[in-house]
Amino acid sequence: MYTTTISKRWGGVLCLLLMAGCVPKQEAEPERLFAVPANFPQPVYALDKNQITSAGVLLGRTLFNDSNLSRDGSIACSECHQQAYAFTHHQHDLSHGIDNRLGERNSLPLQNLAWSTQFFWDGGVHDLDLTPITAIENPLEMDETTTNVVQKLRNNPKYPPMFKAAFGTDEVSGTRFLQALSQFMLTLVSANSRYDKWVRKEPGGMLTPDEQAGLAVFRTKCSGCHAGELFTDNSFRNNGLYIQGSRDLGRARVTERAEDRYKFKVPSLRNVEKTLPYMHDGRFYSLSAVLDYYAGNVQNTENLDPLLKQNGRLGIALTDVEKQQIIAFLKTLTDEEFLKNPQFN
Amino acid sequence: MIINNTIRLFVAAVLAMSVLVSCNNDDADAIDPNVKNTVTLEFDNRVGDQKLVLGTTPYKNWAGEDFTVTTFNYFVSNIKLKKDDGTVVAIPNQYFLIRQADAKSQVVQLKDVPSGNYSEVSFAVGVDSVKSLAPITERTGALDVTSYGDDGMYWSWNSGYIFMKFEGVSSVAPVRTDGRRLFQLHVGGFGGGFNGAARTANNLRTVTLPIAQKATVRGNIAPTVHVLVDVKKIFDGPTRISLATTNNVHNPSVATPIAENYKQMFAVDHVHNDNQ
Repeated sequence: MYTTTISKRWGGVLCLLLMAGCVPKQEAEPERLFAVPANFPQPVYALDKNQITSAGVLLGRTLFNDSNLSRDGSIACSECHQQAYAFTHHQHDLSHGIDNRLGERNSLPLQNLAWSTQFFWDGGVHDLDLTPITAIENPLEMDETTTNVVQKLRNNPKYPPMFKAAFGTDEVSGTRFLQALSQFMLTLVSANSRYDKWVRKEPGGMLTPDEQAGLAVFRTKCSGCHAGELFTDNSFRNNGLYIQGSRDLGRARVTERAEDRYKFKVPSLRNVEKTLPYMHDGRFYSLSAVLDYYAGNVQNTENLDPLLKQNGRLGIALTDVEKQQIIAFLKTLTDEEFLKNPQFN
Repeated sequence: MIINNTIRLFVAAVLAMSVLVSCNNDDADAIDPNVKNTVTLEFDNRVGDQKLVLGTTPYKNWAGEDFTVTTFNYFVSNIKLKKDDGTVVAIPNQYFLIRQADAKSQVVQLKDVPSGNYSEVSFAVGVDSVKSLAPITERTGALDVTSYGDDGMYWSWNSGYIFMKFEGVSSVAPVRTDGRRLFQLHVGGFGGGFNGAARTANNLRTVTLPIAQKATVRGNIAPTVHVLVDVKKIFDGPTRISLATTNNVHNPSVATPIAENYKQMFAVDHVHNDNQ
């Protein structure tokens, strides 16, 4: 199932060696903090630059749940990234931030981030390590400076020992703060859905005939964008949504190129059953609303993706049966082990 | 008469030279590139011929628009010094954030510069694309993206440093919800293009300044090059900028004319080649 593993640091190895004398050998297997699932490609995150350790992950997880990262101590990362909903903000079309301010976009799931080439709906951030600053410094989200967050951590007696355990000395620096958050986020790997087990021919890997039919339709009609085992090709596309609300320009906000207007990142569909509402502005509350839209409501707006404009037809031709089959298949991407893993909350 | 004067001049010159030679230590005076010393660049921010004071003092731009300055910061990097024989000494991997609020930051020290007579200095205003894309572990000192506090010299939503930040208050700027009339001119944009994306606006500008007086680095001379920086030129350059119409700049493409303008705000005023 796993092709590579990254074990604890030397401290952990030393503990295991000391313990080896009094415990049976088979229990001394190193803890798997991060592994590349057999059906996944190689990660893109530079794992050699930030070695994942259990102490680093624990620190990152503690930081992720610490509301002191926000200006008034009211909002933690976990506020808008809740595990049970694949680390999205459940039932919120737009994420809520500090002082009940409303964010501009629907929070994206945090999963399989080691395979992500660009972050956020517009891809404005190129490195996972830099992503927390965006939420911390956004006035609509945590409205704090990262400099002040690091200062608050220095002054909190809880943290210097945790930094020492994770990085060797008790120096609390911005770089280490960001690296620890990345270490935790990198462990959020979702690869044990029923679909994964079916693909890897593992026990429990059963798909019903309906689900298999849905997968077949999906591969023909959806995988042009939701490609591969991560169910995204990491590209930015305009999927023909009505331009409404804030008239969000998407990718063009970052690139300032007319050909990128209204393009947004193709999101992964893993755990999609749990990540509602859907689209960058959370306008659809159910999967059937999404499929009805692709089948019959795609708009020929500026930069509409060519895949949604084939043979003189807008959208994707789907019968009602096919829609139901696709939804049945998409639900096999729900990974209960991931959503309930006690290591993640 | 003419011959007489020429002889007198010649004698005077010989005398002057002998005095100079006898006053100097021969070893220290020789240009030996293995002998190194520090060159200091002093950035003196001004508004035309006035001292730049943050907060209260009102100034006027070319259009007669009033403005006070609350923040004026910029990055200086990729510094190069050119000798009068044409050889160039590059100062790699050193990045400086000049902040008007911090006098110490305005004095940039370049260590271990080889002896020579330097007649030109060049530098980039901003942070190059290589460093803008480097892992965070390679971004220390002025490049630590978590170090800027309220200065916020980093665009977190569009990964990249703000090369120059110029903020203040002007009566011609529109009133904001908090009642203040602020202007905020933020220039960044290293060209993007990461992970195969298309290139975007690149506002990295290189400034090249002649040092007429020459900075003479010797074993016993560590020169200070005094650079005057005129913030008025941010408004007044190839594209004249009015605060009534341009007062809220936060994106690379709209910032390009400002970068073109501030490229011309620097000038070497004089050099201190004092013996140590």
